[in-house]
Amino acid sequence: MVEDLLRFIIERGLAFGASFCEARYFEEKVNSINVENGVAKALSSGILRGIGIRVIFDGCWGFASTNILSVESAEKTLRDAISGARSIAAHKNEGAQIADVKPSVDKVFHKVGINPEDVDPEIKIKRILDLERAAREFSNRVKDTLINYRDIITKVVVHNSLGTLVEEVTPRTMISCRVIAKENDLMQAGYESIGNVAGYELIEGINVEDFSIKAARRAVSLLSAKAPPRGKFSVVVDPKVGGLFIHEAIGHNSEGDLVYSGQSIIADKLRQKIASEIVTIIDDPTIQGYGKFTYDHEGVRARPHVIIKDGVLVGFLHSLESAAKLGGIPEGSARAQSHHHPPIVRMSNIYLAPGDMTLEEILEDISYGLYLSGSEYGYVEPEKGQFTCKIEEAWLIEKGELTEHLRDVAISGLILEILKNITAVGRDLRLEMPGMCSKSGQNIYVDGGAPHFRIDGIVVGGRR
Amino acid sequence: MESLDLSAPAEKAIQLLRGLNLDFYDVVAVYSKTIRINIFGRSIKEAISKVNVGLGVRVFKNKGLGVAYSQSLDERDIEETVKKAAKYARVAQPDPYFKGLPGPVKAQEVSGLCDKEIINLTLEDASKIPRDMVDACESVRRGGMYYGEFSANYSKFCLLVSTGIDIESEKTVASAYIQPVYRNGDDVGSSYEFDYSVCLSNIDPYWIGRKAAEKAIEQFGSRKIKSGVLPLILLPEASSTLFRNMLSALSGERAVKGRTFASNLLGKQIAPENLKIIDDGTIPGAVASSTYDGEGVPKRLVKVIENGTVLTFLHNSYSAGIMNIESTGHAIRNGYRGNIDAGPSNIRVKPGDCTLDEIIKETKKGILVANASFTPNIVSGEISTTIDEGFLIENGEKVFPVKNLMIGGHILEFLKNIDLISKEGRVFGGGHFFPAIRVREAKISGE
Repeated sequence: MVEDLLRFIIERGLAFGASFCEARYFEEKVNSINVENGVAKALSSGILRGIGIRVIFDGCWGFASTNILSVESAEKTLRDAISGARSIAAHKNEGAQIADVKPSVDKVFHKVGINPEDVDPEIKIKRILDLERAAREFSNRVKDTLINYRDIITKVVVHNSLGTLVEEVTPRTMISCRVIAKENDLMQAGYESIGNVAGYELIEGINVEDFSIKAARRAVSLLSAKAPPRGKFSVVVDPKVGGLFIHEAIGHNSEGDLVYSGQSIIADKLRQKIASEIVTIIDDPTIQGYGKFTYDHEGVRARPHVIIKDGVLVGFLHSLESAAKLGGIPEGSARAQSHHHPPIVRMSNIYLAPGDMTLEEILEDISYGLYLSGSEYGYVEPEKGQFTCKIEEAWLIEKGELTEHLRDVAISGLILEILKNITAVGRDLRLEMPGMCSKSGQNIYVDGGAPHFRIDGIVVGGRR
Repeated sequence: MESLDLSAPAEKAIQLLRGLNLDFYDVVAVYSKTIRINIFGRSIKEAISKVNVGLGVRVFKNKGLGVAYSQSLDERDIEETVKKAAKYARVAQPDPYFKGLPGPVKAQEVSGLCDKEIINLTLEDASKIPRDMVDACESVRRGGMYYGEFSANYSKFCLLVSTGIDIESEKTVASAYIQPVYRNGDDVGSSYEFDYSVCLSNIDPYWIGRKAAEKAIEQFGSRKIKSGVLPLILLPEASSTLFRNMLSALSGERAVKGRTFASNLLGKQIAPENLKIIDDGTIPGAVASSTYDGEGVPKRLVKVIENGTVLTFLHNSYSAGIMNIESTGHAIRNGYRGNIDAGPSNIRVKPGDCTLDEIIKETKKGILVANASFTPNIVSGEISTTIDEGFLIENGEKVFPVKNLMIGGHILEFLKNIDLISKEGRVFGGGHFFPAIRVREAKISGE
């Protein structure tokens, strides 16, 4: 029935005179459970669904969406999309273009071990309470615990006038634990999250030591951590900080829409050396991770994208439009948060390729620096190439050894300088930064990672 | 923009809930229509139009909460949503802090929250506004690349509660934003400007465009400076983030349950005597105003900080219940989805007695912070942030823009060290008022 509605929209769109027409059905079912200090106090369930329609009409883009799934509403939404395109055609505008791609016809269902919808909420609650209890009982300084569990099943059907018709169903499971520890007037938090394109087996397989106890241990140990020194230092980052750094420092700047619109500082740097030669950065939607998918939301088959190879900028991430405008090949980087959003260029699972060093080797010749562990969040001003990453905890490095424990650390850098200052890359690549990335008002599932690596001369913010 | 009847589907859900032997429940139905024109590159890129409807149900049984929502007002979907919420409420465990939902209290209607011009706005008329913003930027300097948007939204909200609350409300919001990027080789001049309002006529695309371009050009030639300890002058765009985050930390469950750095600050002096902050959700024509909050409790004016001392938390009914007091009308409901939060509405910081020019002139050496997010670690209160746009001040004058510079400290140190507050400031969304402030000293990380 959904496919029939999408076909109707494409036929009508072309009949109205659109040169390109795309109709995308989106459905997302979410179940969540909140456990707070030993009480599963709230359970929630929601369904989002609707259709987003995009047209090129009179050489301009128009987009409209609805969550009323009737033929009448679909036709009205199509007319809104066309009116939108016509309304801007009267003004000087960025002409719409799309790359020529072969249509895809396919159905993809990501298989999982245990469908979360088949598990009773009572069983989920019991498991989450066990995970939570482990954190609460870790120490008498743990004063507050919160676990949020959610399972999400997303179905996207893309049909367009190129002949593409793909359907993809993706189950994701995510759990996070936040622990607050207190001592006198001092409070510190520890946070851990685990998420993947996976079913309930992800939750069953959790080792409390690597999840809730880890969050509790961090919260308690941060109570005695010190403020970091200020200024420029050599730092060694763990896979979580490394993943965030790569995402902010290079990922966003390689997004094709930001490149052709003049918002990226590396827009004119293609085929130039912008990083040290030990740096290879890849965005790969095809590997296991929270940002995994087979087709993007323009129906283009996803492939791994090499952005930097041996220090040289070799490619950007593309949508149909950015590929057309920049002469690139669309390889599946356009995604939309829901039917209410047009697809834009997004990262998926981005990572720094591994080198050959051990952590000990990376640390050994640093006389004074910082070891950074755990990522909170980050942001970038791509047009200036300035980024900021907030770090969960750090240690001083003195003569190659980790010494004083530090808290409330953040780093800031200028991309074109800092990528050249990566001076050592480890062999221990891990992808473990599941989360949501926000861009242009749209949140999307992503992941990121890196092996341990070293950056020289980065600004560290702190109070000391 | 067409509308939709929300009371019938909400009433249908309430009728179904009535027969299920539940303790408390509420139903919210939302209709929202948005048009948006995006600016991308050298000019306008696309026009977007979206209709969003949804219905959300919250159910309490034995103090356990079940929530369900659906982007549909169809009868069958309403039945499913009600069933799911009721089922989940029975599975949820008792929350010892839950005391019940608020009952109906008649409030005086806050006027001026719905603009007919926005309701009747066509895509054709809307598309002129971003075009005008780009033209205004180009009138200051040609050849920029732009990113921005204009959007206009009309929303309608219906809330029915088992305690007898029955509310319908409407609101309009227009917002405009542009970020110009100019380049001289590798030197970049970029900034942004924005405005938002209940009324379309308050949005001046020429002012936004010109201002954004002027600010962008000022960023050319930015330099790094050395680490140090310097005074900061926060322009209203930056001071607003400090004050918003402070009031957010004083809000709701997180404040009352001891989860923020502000949880133990009631009655304590945290800033100089001249710092006074009120929160007023009843300002006519303000984006953050409404007659009732997200739970149907009347909005009101609340003195939050006076003589530098914290007087109250901002409550929804849940957090107020924990303290055995009445809600202050600060419940925030995220559309038809999920749970209720609490937070400020229109924050108004009392102006000081000197001008911004005087503050700059009185500063021998310091940093003028035009744009930075003073977002603390909500638990510890520590701030470590980048100055996104700023200038070095020497001998009372702006010398050059700075880059790659960070600020570190504790939010309570920043508040305690406020030594000057400007008499002029900026009004946001027709309600918030933030002056510029000077922070006596802060730790700066740079070269």
